Amino acid sequence: MTEHGTKSVGATIVAWTVVLATIFPLLWMAITSIKPQQELFRMPPMFLPENVTLEHYRNLLENTPFLKYFGHSLVIATSTTLLVVVLGVFGAYSLVRFSYPGRERIALVVLSTYLLPSVVLVLPLYLMMVKVGVANTLLSLVIAYTTFSLPYALWLLRAFMASAPEDLEWAALVDGASRLGAFVDVVLPQALPGIISTAVFTFIVGWNEYFYALILVNSDSARPLTTGVMNMLITSFNIEWSLLMAASVMMSLPLIVIFVFLQSHLTRGFAASGVKG
Amino acid sequence: MAGISISKLCKAFGPVMAVKDLDLEIAEGEFVSLLGPSGCGKTTTLRMLAGLDFPTSGTISIAGRVVNDLPPGKRDIAMVFQSYALYPNMTVAENIGYPLRKRGVPRRERLAKVMDVARLLRLEALVDRKPRHLSGGQQQRVALGRALVREPQVFLLDEPLSNLDAKLRAHMRAELIELHRRIGKTMVYVTHDQLEAMTMSDRIAIMQGGMLQQLGTPADVYERPANVFVADFIGTPSMTLLEGTLHQKAGQWEVRIGSLMIPLPREHVAWTGASDALPVTLGVRAEDVCVGETGEPAAVKLVEPTGHENIVLLTLHGLVVTARLGADVRLRPGEAVRVAFRTPKLHVFDRAAGTRLNSDGPPRVAALRGLQSIA
Repeated sequence: MTEHGTKSVGATIVAWTVVLATIFPLLWMAITSIKPQQELFRMPPMFLPENVTLEHYRNLLENTPFLKYFGHSLVIATSTTLLVVVLGVFGAYSLVRFSYPGRERIALVVLSTYLLPSVVLVLPLYLMMVKVGVANTLLSLVIAYTTFSLPYALWLLRAFMASAPEDLEWAALVDGASRLGAFVDVVLPQALPGIISTAVFTFIVGWNEYFYALILVNSDSARPLTTGVMNMLITSFNIEWSLLMAASVMMSLPLIVIFVFLQSHLTRGFAASGVKG
Repeated sequence: MAGISISKLCKAFGPVMAVKDLDLEIAEGEFVSLLGPSGCGKTTTLRMLAGLDFPTSGTISIAGRVVNDLPPGKRDIAMVFQSYALYPNMTVAENIGYPLRKRGVPRRERLAKVMDVARLLRLEALVDRKPRHLSGGQQQRVALGRALVREPQVFLLDEPLSNLDAKLRAHMRAELIELHRRIGKTMVYVTHDQLEAMTMSDRIAIMQGGMLQQLGTPADVYERPANVFVADFIGTPSMTLLEGTLHQKAGQWEVRIGSLMIPLPREHVAWTGASDALPVTLGVRAEDVCVGETGEPAAVKLVEPTGHENIVLLTLHGLVVTARLGADVRLRPGEAVRVAFRTPKLHVFDRAAGTRLNSDGPPRVAALRGLQSIA
């Protein structure tokens, strides 16, 4: 075998080792969720179940408020994503295309807010939510997640807007488009990979976030999946492993589906913006 | 009438005046090039014509209608950009049809017009491709197609050939000339390439520092440059410019440059603003420098063969003069020669003002006049 061939085989082995190590917890989670209760703690542990059961899923959907929390998370993540994408697209366009005093400084301040640890913001945000009367609601989480997703979105989309040649917009204007028409017809398609990357990033934040949800919401009427699942399945005396694994699988599904469908856009988006996913 | 009238047009970017007091009349169907070096204001002028920049003052009229406050889409113009500005998310057909779509032309009619234009520009086979799958020349034709499809009154072209290689550029230049002849619409063409301007234009507007330096036919600007800038800018190789003083001797004007005395034409020329001992700049085109048996002694400094001719740098009384000689004239650096100028074709400029002094054109057939040394 040539030196190049040996290197290639070595690289493949390393890559597969990394992939398997990364994917193992996910596989273990999925397999555990379909094992009967008596097989969960068998020693030595078995990787594949002897019997397969969907009992935990049925139990989760029928006997717990899982679907309610799922709905809350869906509303929070979707609303945050829409809000961040709309504000981010127009904000980034303004930062790139219009000239006004302090434009560059605004961009820098926006980035610096992204660098702040989120724990610094949680108390002021909580006090503000209480003051305006939205504490303990889905809206409070949408606002909170928007505050730390928007700077990232602005930064990412700004790079995309800047890379769309201005000539394209001028050409559209000469061809009879309005400013908004040129934006929709020409700029948005150029920024699509960035918009998709931003949307996915924001959705993941809204879907997975735990800390703010724990502080800002303490009632079942607005509790998302992350804190809801913890609240109902993990107590000081017991952890419902089988239900927890089934819940985790169902929580991961939307994100996996999104990744599968938008993978190429995401890769392009993050590569073009120089941002690591 | 779909001509263009520009009156006292100014454009300031903060303290910088990009265009100053520009007056320009372009007749219907005329092909006018705005020519000048980078930063001369030609593209700013074109953008103001297109409505992409607003004038600081002055008026722009297209087809007799003042368009200063009209948005680009309402000016009945089309523009071809240097970068072609093809919409990368649209196919060739969608790109060409975009101006029609924005004007609400029904789909069937739109498709028919797009195919007509595609046929005209030999793009029929490419209508379903995206711009990234086209060559530079094809992209250029699509950009032209997008401009042609809605039959505007005026075409604005912003250095549309500058991204093409030399061979394709020459080909597209010929296609553009043919296209203009066929459709007969008013075209304003911005370029920094004098060859493009000279070969394609009915008239050329030469700009520098935001100001119009000269407006004239290609022959005008070459044979009768209005000032030193135009004289220096137009022509390859550049005109040789020599600084001297003007003198009158027995009714005959002459220019003295150091130890060299150059008699100026007596016939056909009116000397506006000439006075004795006036500091002047003398301009000599390379083809008006003759190397032969007569004239002043000079030495060959450098020979640049181009295949069909030789560009020769000569040292004459300590001055460097450029000559254009036939490919068959074999000279070597250091060789001693004799040099004469075609006197009727000399250009004389007031050195302080930079403006041309000989206001009439030289005769087409110029006689050779020898140079003389001042004893």
